[in-house]
Amino acid sequence: MKEYCMRSGLEMYNDLISSINSAVTNANASLISPGEEEVGDSSVLVNPESIFEVMSFLKPLYNGLQVISGVDYTEYIEVCYFLAHFDPENPKDVMIKTRLKDRQDPRLNSISSLYLAANWQERECYDMLGVSFNNHPDHRRILCPDDWEGFPLRRDYKVQEVYRGMKVNPENKMNRDDQLFEDNKQKGNEADLIAWALSKGL
Amino acid sequence: MQDGIVLTKVDELLSWGRKNSLWPMTFGLACCAIEMMATGASKYDLERFGCGAFMATPRRADLMIVAGTVTLKMATRVKILWEQMPEPKYVISMGSCANKGGPYWQHGYHVLKGVDEVVPVDVYVPGCPPRPEALIEGLMVLQKKIANERILHEKWVRNV
Repeated sequence: MKEYCMRSGLEMYNDLISSINSAVTNANASLISPGEEEVGDSSVLVNPESIFEVMSFLKPLYNGLQVISGVDYTEYIEVCYFLAHFDPENPKDVMIKTRLKDRQDPRLNSISSLYLAANWQERECYDMLGVSFNNHPDHRRILCPDDWEGFPLRRDYKVQEVYRGMKVNPENKMNRDDQLFEDNKQKGNEADLIAWALSKGL
Repeated sequence: MQDGIVLTKVDELLSWGRKNSLWPMTFGLACCAIEMMATGASKYDLERFGCGAFMATPRRADLMIVAGTVTLKMATRVKILWEQMPEPKYVISMGSCANKGGPYWQHGYHVLKGVDEVVPVDVYVPGCPPRPEALIEGLMVLQKKIANERILHEKWVRNV
């Protein structure tokens, strides 16, 4: 355990990155270290085209896939793979990230043939962010209904107005007080604002 | 007492019988369902009000307790289940989510803003989630409503 703690620094990441780069051509693995942009643990950034090859290389080293998550950074969509090795003698984990520049049709190769856990995780990533996975055995939405429009975790997501005849945001059920408050605040009508707040009992 | 005669109206007798034998549907959507289960369990004992027989099919139920967040995906199913229930049927909307969307009222892209968008609701029980006492009070309000109904005067009974 002590040995693991000592090795879990920069040295371990550099070893891992150099071994990925030597095993997989075009992987372009590089280190993302916590700094101004990122906080938390370090992670490894790889080329999206070679994600399957990188994962095939890492499969013997890490026996568990914990999460596939996605983040929309507007310039690119980042997909993160959290790998872990469940071994009491030598526990370790690593975060593999890949960045997809194409927002219209982001594509990755599925790794569900390597890790069975990836099946549903990739479906969720598709459902929420619209990242398509090549060679996925069951490529459809997982949480939203099949006829849902758009991908909810995208930054430019617009909620559809009507779903199967049901209004998503009916006018008569929306709270307009917040908007009124903001409008009055911007106009600077302080007297009106106070009178309005008093009438609401705020 | 044993040989006594009770005089009452048929309407009132039927309403009295119906209000004390409401069969709710086994149907929980979110955390409110836990409170509904607690209400049905021994401590709060919904059976005291004749309402403890949770039916596993809508065709044998006459009360739907919508306990929890109604997502748009579920809303279509809620409507189908409600249509499968035989008349006369009642709906209790339990908790803030079923009443008006709850914490998802503004930015919940996937949540129906109140179950009354798809099915008619008789009693709204506020709370997040409501305590079992609140659900029992909602049930008693519904029982009062049923007791005041004159079911034989309804069109669909009169014309049978």
